[in-house]
Amino acid sequence: MAELSPLMGFERKNNRWGFRNYILLLPLHNALNQIVDDVRVAHPAHEIITSVAHDWSGEVDSDWGRISRTFSGFIVNPNVAAALVIGIGTPAELEIVNSARVRREMPIAYLSLKDSGSFDQLRENISKSVSEIFPLVASEKRRPAPWSSIVLGLECGGSDAYSGITANPALGVASDRLVELGATSILAETMEILGAEHLLAARAKTPEVGKAIIDVVARYERSISYEGIDIRGAQPSRGNIEGGLTTLEEKSLGAAKKAGNAPFTGVLDYAHVPTEPGLYFMDTPGHDIEQLTGFAAADVNVAVFTTGRGTPTGSAVIPTIKVATNTEMATVLPDLIDLNAGTISDGNESVIEVGARIFQEIIEVANGKLTAAENGGHREFNLSRLYGSTL
Amino acid sequence: MITGYLNNSRGLGVRSHQLILPSVVCSTHLAKKIADQVGAITFSHQHGCGIIGPDVEGVQNYFVALASHPNVNSTVVLGLGCETLQGNELTDSIRQNHPQSEYVVIQESAGMAGALESSINTAEALRRSAAAAPAEFLHLTIGVEGFPDQVLLQNFTARAEALGHKVRVSNMYKEQARNFADLVREKCQVIISFPDPNQPPTGLPLIPVLTVANKDSLLHQALQSEFDAISTIAPELLLEKLIAVASGELTKCERQKIGNIVVPRMVRSV
Repeated sequence: MAELSPLMGFERKNNRWGFRNYILLLPLHNALNQIVDDVRVAHPAHEIITSVAHDWSGEVDSDWGRISRTFSGFIVNPNVAAALVIGIGTPAELEIVNSARVRREMPIAYLSLKDSGSFDQLRENISKSVSEIFPLVASEKRRPAPWSSIVLGLECGGSDAYSGITANPALGVASDRLVELGATSILAETMEILGAEHLLAARAKTPEVGKAIIDVVARYERSISYEGIDIRGAQPSRGNIEGGLTTLEEKSLGAAKKAGNAPFTGVLDYAHVPTEPGLYFMDTPGHDIEQLTGFAAADVNVAVFTTGRGTPTGSAVIPTIKVATNTEMATVLPDLIDLNAGTISDGNESVIEVGARIFQEIIEVANGKLTAAENGGHREFNLSRLYGSTL
Repeated sequence: MITGYLNNSRGLGVRSHQLILPSVVCSTHLAKKIADQVGAITFSHQHGCGIIGPDVEGVQNYFVALASHPNVNSTVVLGLGCETLQGNELTDSIRQNHPQSEYVVIQESAGMAGALESSINTAEALRRSAAAAPAEFLHLTIGVEGFPDQVLLQNFTARAEALGHKVRVSNMYKEQARNFADLVREKCQVIISFPDPNQPPTGLPLIPVLTVANKDSLLHQALQSEFDAISTIAPELLLEKLIAVASGELTKCERQKIGNIVVPRMVRSV
């Protein structure tokens, strides 16, 4: 008999489940960032309102497909109950809103500066719309959710020499258990599997998936060398080197441990949604926030982020659990960290034991426990652009 | 005569802002908290880590240009610690010419709470020691961005230059942010922006930007009250408005806090 899930979530009309129930305010032009933030902060219901800021100003260029998919995916993330999209009044903005509406039946309102006629009026209109939508969102209640409701994002940032022997393999244990139970888990950061891709490809469910993993890495290398740049000049980063990592391959072998030992079901392009449960690889930059934003646009509803040096960042829509790779950092930077995996190298816990703790933390956070990043108000959001450098 | 500030080593400015400069995306959130508490300027961005090739130098140089701008009285660089663009080296580059610059690093400040407290103390001490002196001066470096009517631009430039002002024009790029970046590097103390007919009025936190509506743009017509002027304005009146702004009158964008500092990039993140 299948194990009963202790999960409680918000069921969405596209068969996804949310573990948060946000009203998202999404500006579609950087001139509107401040206005949106002002409304969020001032509104009486600000605890359930989330918003982001970014630097896009409506350009429709070679990155348009990537950008529009990111925005529309972000709107329909299962942790978002309702969205207010705030734009200037352009056809490109409407295209984003319309593709979100196709992807999920949910309240999505579009407000434009052009129709409002002034910034003050726009502020008022946003605030009024939030108040109108609030009772509907507040009335939604958590219900028992199946294990398949979890779409887990696996991330690491500010890695050190402990990452590959403590937090990452422990996260792999939690990821494997969730995949076994019928959930979805996504490994990403193409640069950080460079040198380890053959090991991941060997775990593919089909030869096609294995080839896709190899191809994604090869495409990435071509894309970077197109710029005439040696990737090893940037990676491992200076922080990684100070943390004891010596080569990109060493970093990759450690980073890949986050995905445990489960077989790979598929490979996803940036911000593309997994269609069935299982373990996936998504082609994203190693840049922490571009990755997290790509996850959010791909229906990820909870993330675990391992860190050796200590990074504070989070997502506007995904609760992001921080796992420290070493006890020293977890002790020095307590308000950044949810869970310490440094106990493994201290000799006090096994990888399996810490994996069980991470698994339990994922359930608790999914059920409403706030993460350190959420308590800190972190809502970082970055658009990933290729600037024409893809091949 | 313009009534402005002598911002120490940064020179004559028309505003006197303290800049909290996050050296990496990971410190932008804390930078905003600090800036809000001490009344300084900051901006959110996605750079400083995962950048390669020409972007490493490009981003660093632009950060130095922002921190060295004559409308800035002092700068606190806020780093995370493990990023590609190292905050201590960035601070050293700024300090070469501008000693009123300090560095706080989150990973060595006992977490976010510690970094917040230490940054506020640093920013406030710097603000006291770097207070700008009021100054009166005659000549400005004026930036012009966007797509002005050529006759208006020629007449305005002729009039401004005759009075001893310098005029720098940047409209090479369709993206306004890149034009603004050029004018920041040129140390323009005040900017006139003629946005594309499909773009809203947008300012910059460090530099007052007078926005001029395109008379034929439907968007600009709908937002007329948010622009400082319309493109049919007489050049002498535009210059008069600009001098008033340089002497302290707030632009529409300054009042509404409209506009971000956007850092131009060349290459994808890794």
